[in-house]
Amino acid sequence: MSDYVKMWKDLGMDLEAHDNLCQVLPTAVGDVFLTQENRPKAMDFWDMVISEVHGIRPAELIEAQKEGRKVFGTFCVYVPDEVVVAANGIVTGLCGGSQFWVPDGEAVLPKNTCPLVKASVGARLGKTCPFFRIADMYVGETTCDGKKKAYEILGEDVPMYVMDVPQMKCEKDILKWKEEIKEFAAKVEEFTGNKITPEKLADAIKLINEKRKAMQRVYDARKSKCLPISGRDALLMTQISFFDDPARCAQMCNKLADELEQRIKDGVSVVPEGTKRILVTGTPLAVPNWKLHNIIETSGAAVVCEEMCTGTRYFENLVDESKTTLDEQYMALSERYMKTNCACFTPNTGRIDDILRLAKEYQVDGVIDCSLKFCCLYDTEKYSVSRALKEAGIPVLSLETDYEDSDAEQLRTRIGAFVEMLNEK
Amino acid sequence: MKSEVVRYYILFRNYEHGMALHELLDAHSIENRIAPAPRAIQGELSCGVSLVLPESAIDAARACIAEHQAEYYDIVPLAGQMVSKRDKYC
Repeated sequence: MSDYVKMWKDLGMDLEAHDNLCQVLPTAVGDVFLTQENRPKAMDFWDMVISEVHGIRPAELIEAQKEGRKVFGTFCVYVPDEVVVAANGIVTGLCGGSQFWVPDGEAVLPKNTCPLVKASVGARLGKTCPFFRIADMYVGETTCDGKKKAYEILGEDVPMYVMDVPQMKCEKDILKWKEEIKEFAAKVEEFTGNKITPEKLADAIKLINEKRKAMQRVYDARKSKCLPISGRDALLMTQISFFDDPARCAQMCNKLADELEQRIKDGVSVVPEGTKRILVTGTPLAVPNWKLHNIIETSGAAVVCEEMCTGTRYFENLVDESKTTLDEQYMALSERYMKTNCACFTPNTGRIDDILRLAKEYQVDGVIDCSLKFCCLYDTEKYSVSRALKEAGIPVLSLETDYEDSDAEQLRTRIGAFVEMLNEK
Repeated sequence: MKSEVVRYYILFRNYEHGMALHELLDAHSIENRIAPAPRAIQGELSCGVSLVLPESAIDAARACIAEHQAEYYDIVPLAGQMVSKRDKYC
């Protein structure tokens, strides 16, 4: 019998508080995922994973630690997984997508901090997330002020390494990020006791590239007018990819992509013909944040793409696999990661280019630009995103939300009106 | 007042048993879906995986389980577990 309770207890988790989360998650999963009809069979894997989200993978990580491997918990798509993998380390995402964790975060952070940051800190300090308990080291980055200050608090509890992300994208910034990756690699070598060689880094680059390609295949299937998968299911796949073993992630995503491609050939769609197609852009939707997608897809529209860190920013662009020295490989990593268009950069016109390109590729009817409350960076970019989309003739709805349920009715009203407007066009 | 839909949850001691039965029921075209077990019916089990079936499939599932001596822990009926617009998230 899988005794997760013993595992959680051994991890020093607050079992009573954690049990409250165990009570709400099944209801949300039932409402968001199991009310859907005609889901791809390959979603069985993700249904199993989300059913045991604090069980199966944490148990695997603990077993790996017993074999001497180190687990690195990360918060951002800018942290290069390849470096950790090359040193035989394991990368895992960390909890941060639920209102459940926010109060414990607010105990030490200002209330006007974004819910993702508050929930992340709360999940650690409240002892209700196994991934936060398991990670041997957290790897942060300077992508927002809230996170920077939160890392100072988390660093009092567990080894914390912060990568200094440049704020611009000039040539000197790409060189600076390369040096940051090199320094991170030295830290990872020291922490794991394993040397990173060009051969090991080349293998790691290939492995993570394969994961990216597999995820891209799933997303490519969503470009079809015959939509073979819902946005909710695709989002779940992406959210879980931050936690899973990269080779298994690639395997399962490829299996899903095979089925989706067959569905397109067979004309199997999860929505009626003519359903309006929505691209969602903005701040990340960490698991189990499904509110926006669920409201959109139960308001008569379908989400076909996420221009988000929990979306295309995570897997678009591959690392050049042809480099043979560490110096060249670090540069290749820097060049790939610096193509990710985060709102922490100025200017960030690349993100607008991405949104316009994706809107065309995914044949979208409208864009919903949604940011989490108190995320000044993405909130401010709404102005330029909205202007560019209007100039391109693409309808856009700008929203702000957090993890609470209390604005769901308001969101339903606004999104419902937006979809109605699209239907009348 | 509208009556709530009753569904049946099959509980397991571990997820391997759950996935094995899922494959078996699928192979016999018996409708079932993988779902996290509602906490209210988990009891002392810490396994999250359950299989959820509509009322129309439960007799066939019981027969299939008996025929193949499939492992499971309990079968529990529960009403009103899935509402797409409930807007109660985590």
